[in-house]
Amino acid sequence: MIRHSRIVALVIVTVLLATACGQGTSPSPSAGRTKLTVGLGFIPSVQFAPFYLADRNGYYRDAGLDVTFQNKIDPDLIPLVGQGAIQVGLADGTSVIPAVSQGIPIRYVATVYATYPSIVFAKASSGITGPADLKGKRIGIPGRFGSSWIMLQALLGSADLSVDDVDIAEYPDFGQGAAVAQGAVDAATGFANNEPVQLELEGEDVVVLHVDDVVALPGPGLIVGTATADAHPDAVKAFVAQTLRAMREIAANPDAGLDAAIAAVPELGEDREKQRAILRATIEVWRSDLTDREGLGAIDRDGWSDSIEFLSRLGLVARPVTVEDLISDQFLPVD
Amino acid sequence: MTLRNAIPVGLAFVLFLVAWQAVIQVGGFPPFILPPPAAVAERFVEAWRDGLMTPHAVATLREIVAGFVVGAALAVAAGYALARSRVVERILSPYLVAAQATPILALAPLLALWFPEGLTSKVVICALIVFFPIAVATMVGVRSVDAGLLELGRSLRATRRQVFVTLEIPAALPSILGGMRVGVTLAVVGAIVAEWAGAERGLGVLINLARGSLFDTPLLFATLLTIALIGVGLYVVVVLVERRLVGTR
Repeated sequence: MIRHSRIVALVIVTVLLATACGQGTSPSPSAGRTKLTVGLGFIPSVQFAPFYLADRNGYYRDAGLDVTFQNKIDPDLIPLVGQGAIQVGLADGTSVIPAVSQGIPIRYVATVYATYPSIVFAKASSGITGPADLKGKRIGIPGRFGSSWIMLQALLGSADLSVDDVDIAEYPDFGQGAAVAQGAVDAATGFANNEPVQLELEGEDVVVLHVDDVVALPGPGLIVGTATADAHPDAVKAFVAQTLRAMREIAANPDAGLDAAIAAVPELGEDREKQRAILRATIEVWRSDLTDREGLGAIDRDGWSDSIEFLSRLGLVARPVTVEDLISDQFLPVD
Repeated sequence: MTLRNAIPVGLAFVLFLVAWQAVIQVGGFPPFILPPPAAVAERFVEAWRDGLMTPHAVATLREIVAGFVVGAALAVAAGYALARSRVVERILSPYLVAAQATPILALAPLLALWFPEGLTSKVVICALIVFFPIAVATMVGVRSVDAGLLELGRSLRATRRQVFVTLEIPAALPSILGGMRVGVTLAVVGAIVAEWAGAERGLGVLINLARGSLFDTPLLFATLLTIALIGVGLYVVVVLVERRLVGTR
């Protein structure tokens, strides 16, 4: 009898836990404001300065939002946004395409990085000046998956090369930047606003290969779950508007963003000059010809269409998707 | 396994599947968070049928077997030395315990850097992770040899080799094989961790692809199922060897 009671109790506890874990936490009013949990990238960084600035200056609060931040990588963040456990995320467009094709209900609502930030970089002394020069070279990469892997395949493909024509060295601890500096690899994947900037600060001349000339892959932008978008369109619209407002302010005055980032993440203040350089490089990749015409946040529909085709060729799109399945520009400011 | 024994095992499996489905129903989990058992089974069959799983499973199995054999051989030798020499024990024990306490996840990227080519880093990582339980089990087993029997052997002027083959090995074998049961399942973990530190192929690579590129949660679960089946299969192999050598315990 006691044994049966224990089993029943165990089942009840399991069901209660499942219920507690399974429910996506929908945005809830907090003191009259809509509570939004926002997932940013892997670790707190000066690259997220617009979010820190909008939060610090009360832009989100004044727009009726109660925002908290979390740091997660795309494979963790995207399902959580789809589930509604996190309401807004900053995720790579190349992750959104396979995720939606797998039935994860999310939409990309604003571009943050209008120039694709994932790049291949090398020391200028390597002699590498274009994708064709990568043939036979040793290239460092965190792993054979994700945005950097997609970008590398696109870049190599533009020179009629494939990953079989290069020697791949994996750095799952993201040590590929140091590997380039030490000469352990000839080139590496990285982010335009990170590793090459740091290498240049060390006095090294750096060459950076961008993928945008080959295919306009959609860079990281704001994503929301479709349920959140349907239930709280005004909150999403307000979040997008205030984030873009902060981006514009930082573009005009980078030090405002740097101060906000250091206030949010005091460790960044240890090397202010380095963080300033990273932020300046970040501002550069927020811009493109499209955003110069239509303003920050604009979504490049043609680029998304080309990217669907490219990712389909790589076998990353399980079920056909259209641009309309992936993006929604109704949350962008109309001005 | 007799039919009488198989029934509760089968019932427990069915109960597990029912509980899994119930958690999905009650918790309202979408398939990309927790796919239902039927979706995982379907993806598992599809991945094996279309050839996606095979090369990855073969690569991982090769790493596990090679790493386990190397690690177990070294561990048995070290365990014997630890059991028979207090000096060796005093010198090696701190390093063994320290190596065991160091997270393999932190060591794996370093080992992948030191042994960048092919199978070596995977074998080293698997060997490292299986070494400690088998070495300790061997040490305990060898020390458990009846002192009276050893005394008898000496009084009969048995050679060192005769004592080793006829007394120490048979007495220590159950303990060594117990350590190998633990070791072989750890070798599976070691292979996956090693692949996460850098590999072209393997079930660890497929996990990363399913999770980081494809967002294919059923494939992720199907890969985990394959890993679990490999672990169970290898464990059963060790148990069968154990039964053949020392009988049912």
